[in-house]
Amino acid sequence: MAPMMWSPVLAQAADPGVMHEVTLAHYLFVAVAMFVLGVVGFLTRRNLIIMFLCTELMFQAAGIALIAFGRFYLEYTGQSFVIFVVTVAAAEAAMALALVVLLFRKRESLSAEAWQELKG
Amino acid sequence: MEGSFGILSAMIFTPLVFAGLVALRPTREAKYVALAGTLLAAALGLVAATQFNWTNGDTHQLASSAPWIPALGVSLSFAADSVSFSLILLTLLLGPICVACSFTAISGRERTYYAWLLVLQAAMTGVFAARDLVVFYICFEFTLIPMFILISLYGSTNRKKAAIKFFLYTFTGSIIALAGLVYVAWTHASASGAWTFDVDTLERAARATLSRSEQAWVLLALMLGFAVKVPLFPFHTWLPLAHTEAPTAGSVVLAGVLLKLGTYGIYRFVLPMCPLAVVDYAPLIATVSIIGILYGGLICWVQRDVKKLVAYSSVAHLGFCILGMFALNSAGLRGSILYMINHGLSTGALFLLIGMMYERYHTRDMRELGGLAAKMPVWATFMVFFTMASVGLPGLNGFVSEFMCLMGVFQASPNWASGACTITGDATPGATFGGVLGPIYAAVAGVGMIVAAMYLLYMVGRVVWGPLVEPHHHHHDADTPSLPPDLTPREIAILIPLAASCLWLGVYPKPALDALRAPVEQTLRIIHKANGTLPAPVLDVPAEFRDAPPAGREEGTR
Amino acid sequence: MTTTTDILTLAAAGGIEPGAGLTMLVPVLTLLGTLLCGLCAAFKVKSKLPAWLSVACLAGSFVAIAATYADLGHQQRLAHGFEWINFSYTGTDGQPVTFKANFAFYIDSLTLLWMLFVTGLATLIALYASEYMSHDQGTGYCRFFAAFNLFVFSMACLVMGDNLLLLYLGWEGVGLCSYLLIGYFYTRPSAVAAAKKAFIMNRIGDLGLALGIMLTFVHFGSVEYAVIFEKARPYIDALKAGHLDEIPLVASFIPILLMIGAFGKSAQLPLYVWLPDAMEGPTPVSALIHAATMVTAGVYLIARTYPLFLLSDVALPIVGWVGASTALLAATIGMAQFDIKRIMAYSTVSQLGYMFAGLAVLSPVGGASHVFTHAFFKAMLFLSCGAVMHGFAGQLDLRKLSGLFRMPGWKVVSVAMLVGCLNLAGFPLITAGYWSKDIILAEAFVNMPGVGWVLLITAGLTAYYTFRVFFRVFMGPTHYEPGDEVHGHDAHGHGDAHGHDHGHAHHDDPHGHGPAVTATAHDPHAGHDFHPHAPGWAINTVLAVLALASFAIVPLMLTGEHHGWAGGMVEHSSAAYHTVGTSGYLEAAHGHGPHDHGHTHGHDHDHDHGQAHGTFLGMDPHKVMYYVSGVVGLLGIAAAFWLHLAGRTSAASSRADALVPAMGPLAGWARGKWFVDEFYDALIVKPLWVISHIFHVIDTLIVDGLVNLVGWVPRALGGVLRPSQSGQLHGYAAGMAGGLALLLIIVLWVTLR
Repeated sequence: MAPMMWSPVLAQAADPGVMHEVTLAHYLFVAVAMFVLGVVGFLTRRNLIIMFLCTELMFQAAGIALIAFGRFYLEYTGQSFVIFVVTVAAAEAAMALALVVLLFRKRESLSAEAWQELKG
Repeated sequence: MEGSFGILSAMIFTPLVFAGLVALRPTREAKYVALAGTLLAAALGLVAATQFNWTNGDTHQLASSAPWIPALGVSLSFAADSVSFSLILLTLLLGPICVACSFTAISGRERTYYAWLLVLQAAMTGVFAARDLVVFYICFEFTLIPMFILISLYGSTNRKKAAIKFFLYTFTGSIIALAGLVYVAWTHASASGAWTFDVDTLERAARATLSRSEQAWVLLALMLGFAVKVPLFPFHTWLPLAHTEAPTAGSVVLAGVLLKLGTYGIYRFVLPMCPLAVVDYAPLIATVSIIGILYGGLICWVQRDVKKLVAYSSVAHLGFCILGMFALNSAGLRGSILYMINHGLSTGALFLLIGMMYERYHTRDMRELGGLAAKMPVWATFMVFFTMASVGLPGLNGFVSEFMCLMGVFQASPNWASGACTITGDATPGATFGGVLGPIYAAVAGVGMIVAAMYLLYMVGRVVWGPLVEPHHHHHDADTPSLPPDLTPREIAILIPLAASCLWLGVYPKPALDALRAPVEQTLRIIHKANGTLPAPVLDVPAEFRDAPPAGREEGTR
Repeated sequence: MTTTTDILTLAAAGGIEPGAGLTMLVPVLTLLGTLLCGLCAAFKVKSKLPAWLSVACLAGSFVAIAATYADLGHQQRLAHGFEWINFSYTGTDGQPVTFKANFAFYIDSLTLLWMLFVTGLATLIALYASEYMSHDQGTGYCRFFAAFNLFVFSMACLVMGDNLLLLYLGWEGVGLCSYLLIGYFYTRPSAVAAAKKAFIMNRIGDLGLALGIMLTFVHFGSVEYAVIFEKARPYIDALKAGHLDEIPLVASFIPILLMIGAFGKSAQLPLYVWLPDAMEGPTPVSALIHAATMVTAGVYLIARTYPLFLLSDVALPIVGWVGASTALLAATIGMAQFDIKRIMAYSTVSQLGYMFAGLAVLSPVGGASHVFTHAFFKAMLFLSCGAVMHGFAGQLDLRKLSGLFRMPGWKVVSVAMLVGCLNLAGFPLITAGYWSKDIILAEAFVNMPGVGWVLLITAGLTAYYTFRVFFRVFMGPTHYEPGDEVHGHDAHGHGDAHGHDHGHAHHDDPHGHGPAVTATAHDPHAGHDFHPHAPGWAINTVLAVLALASFAIVPLMLTGEHHGWAGGMVEHSSAAYHTVGTSGYLEAAHGHGPHDHGHTHGHDHDHDHGQAHGTFLGMDPHKVMYYVSGVVGLLGIAAAFWLHLAGRTSAASSRADALVPAMGPLAGWARGKWFVDEFYDALIVKPLWVISHIFHVIDTLIVDGLVNLVGWVPRALGGVLRPSQSGQLHGYAAGMAGGLALLLIIVLWVTLR
């Protein structure tokens, strides 16, 4: 398993002694899963709102990772950072949804393919 | 000294302040506010001219300086020697004229127009006054933006293309020049450990530290950049396009001042920074100038568009200017600097006259126009007058500079000084030291005088003389209700100062010639000292040809 | 005689010298005249006020010059005005060098000689023009007199300037006025073209002059005559000692360059073609500028800088041969023309050739004397032609005019014409033209016999074509047809822009525009109803004064020790510099020097040193030339009488017509002016025009094309990358994700390796 031991985090997760505790690895696993879901969703869906939700998913995945690290290393910078992220995300959501509404009004469609203005 | 705010800065910032005012005030007031701003700046110029110590023209006077980016040694420092100051006065003179000539020509988006015109004037004044390389370069480049807007918003049919070409072409040129200037600054910084962009320091550093081949590269970079601006053949093709498309005031500024940024740059930076390479490359640059003189002149001769003809004539005329400069002697250099001013006056006036004609007939095509003397005698009188100034008729300004440029070139032969050409074996008394050109260059360039007569008289013969021809679509009452057939008092008032200046510089150029002596001899001394061609006695004449004070700006704090 | 050293001390002292200050009045008065006429134009004065103002200003100038002459005599003076192009710099040796070209006058007898006839004739011709130009009263009238005054101002600068650069100012200034006045009838394309041609042809010469001035400055360190002549003294001394080879080559280039300028201004080969075309201008202009004064500027230049011309052993021979060939060529053309004003123009070119030849054969006295006499009789001839033109609605064709002498009101014109013709033909003893021509011929046979022969033949031809005009137009049966001015007026009145295809059409005569003419104005055969308009008092007075003056100067030609008064004026100036000191030293120099070209022997009549020199058929030219040239002139007149007057019954044809076929193509060529214009057009103008167009194409396609190419390269590169920008959000997202994945893989690969 030597190649897998490159990270203390994963090593800890593999330690049978603390098997039943919720470790950092669990949090990170959730974060990664959310992030991947977000990426896949963003890449595969065409609906602008879904795509926007997927970006939010990725955002929050990063937030979870930050909080988990902060908690694990007893360092509050990450946690306080997340407060900002959440705030920004909220503002962004308001903006983005408004934009989506505007876009919908223009084309009567929520498909991302309806907008190709950047085509060279 | 530190943080002082002199009259020179006032000349630069007055137009900026008024540009802001133009933007704030209602549209109908725009032109009057702009006129007031330019007139105020011109008045400041006149006041400064009385304070200026013209006899010590080589010292940089009226100085002001304020730190700007201390970490890089950049400071907002302005000062002028007599060369800069003459060009500043030209800029200030043309300012109100450009505003006044647009009164009827520009309708719509007037605030934008006049505001940018004022910004342009501030930038141009800044170029001539800057004593810091960064400030110089910023002002130099900042002239592009107003000009771009003036051409692209207020120009003729093909204005977009002209504006883009003007911008990209001259911008590319100046980027190359920037590379050269930065190289000089970098060499100095790496040698001394501290950055500075002070012009005096860098000039001294450049000629002290740069090797001959390094100087050649710096010269190449600077010349490329400035030659585009001048424009020197073969980098001139943006000019006819920009001129034909620009509004009248744009053309006047372009011909009158913007082109001089290039020649001024060459005088200010190339000559003192690369004195060795200058001598090496003088024959090449002179040859290119002469080609430009003849080539540009002959192209003028086959033009159909009056404005394009005058635009190409600038290529020919500025060939004389550069040629005189690279004669590298007193007559040539002084002629060259005077040429900058004279060309600004006479060609600027020609563009004004063409603009006035265009306002009435809405065409510049010589096939559709002719014999306007019958319809517009006053206009025709001015046209002939300024054409003659441009042809170089003695008694008018063009002759003095053209003759001095040619004579400088004629003298600039090493043979004259050797004494081989006189009966007594003495060096010929009229010879000046140095110089690598000679009579052949002068003779070939002199053919340009004949060509100039050919194309300018062709133009006058077509437009002013001959049977009256007016465009078919021309209906006087419908097209221009506000303009009478001949010039209005406003238009005459615009032309009178230019005509008076042309006459004054042609009849009594002595004050100008005297004022330019000290800075020119200072520059020549630098060149000849570097090349070791300075005759011994001259080295011992400190009183008249002393070095500039180290910081270069003590004078102005008086 | 005041030496040049005195002049130098004067120069050092500066300021206006007593006796010369009055000369400053001339530029002041003439400029004032220009200004006042300009103001008249601005205020739209319709009266003859500008003419009277001009006459007053010019007369004032003449009085100032005459008073100066009375005061100075043969002395030399400097008058300082103000500093013009005057700058100092550090020279080779570290000493300051000054280029000094001030607005200052150098007054000596040569200057005064020129200024006397320039201002005198200008006054008379202004008076003449007051009537002649009266149809243009209004702005055109003001414009005419403004340019007229400006011309005299420029001429004053040219002649009186104390340095070559002020001469150049006057030189180009007269060129400008000539341009403005030739193009006076600016609605006519031919006039505009002629004006342009004159200016450009002159510019070619001016380039030579300008380079000559530069070389003079570089070589002598000054452009002021006083200094130049002083610096040239060692050269003259070398010449005196027979060491022509000591004179540096550079110095001998100076006269050659100056000469080009003189050829341009004085209409010599190869630059003469502008002068005949210049007849497009109003006749007073032709009389003053293109006959009497401006065109003699070249002669003045050479006479003024004569010491420099001696420095080269090729300069004067070139001048001589150019002058002689021009004289002959122009005379042959003049013989074959029908337009009397053009004939006079060609005769001017021819006579100018005489003057140049005179200068070249070491006789500036002859050259300048001929300038002086020629000014009077040629002005008179032109003014007479102008009166004819004025009276006959622009008719100038000698085939359409005949017997004017017997018409009422034309006596004064006819007599003036006769006097002028006698002078031009060199009628023996009683005419001034005879005496001045004789000096040139005699010296020519002494110094350059080849030139002498050419000039002698030309003298015969001159007498012939001169009297051809007189016998055809003024003698014989009375007959006339009006010119096309009858139409011209009509067109003019309506401001119409139709050019007249007839080259010399002038809008001349409002009075001839009477009812009879108006009624038939559009009838091309209106001749029979046409009433010629005899000249008025102003024209007649001027012609009478000129006729009397041309006789009055005959005694002047005979008094004094050096070929009369005019000769004396020249002898006391720098033009006679070569005779300073030992009499005839040049003879020795050139007779024994290594560069003996056989052209510079002796000078003047004191040639009795036994030196070999040219002879006329073995006889002494100075003794026999009086008779020879008189006989040649009479022969020419006799030929003209036989061919053009004796037995002539109509205006259109004469006995000479029968000779034309016998001449073969020569007559046609002469009538076609030897096709020199066409030759220049084909050889220079057309090719230049083509080259200009080629340049223009090169400029747009290649020079600008390369720039556009440079601009096109980034655009083309962008075109290659363009398809990657699909505009689809998912494309960008996939690219981003893929890029991120790639980055991750790289990081992993690098860290785990």
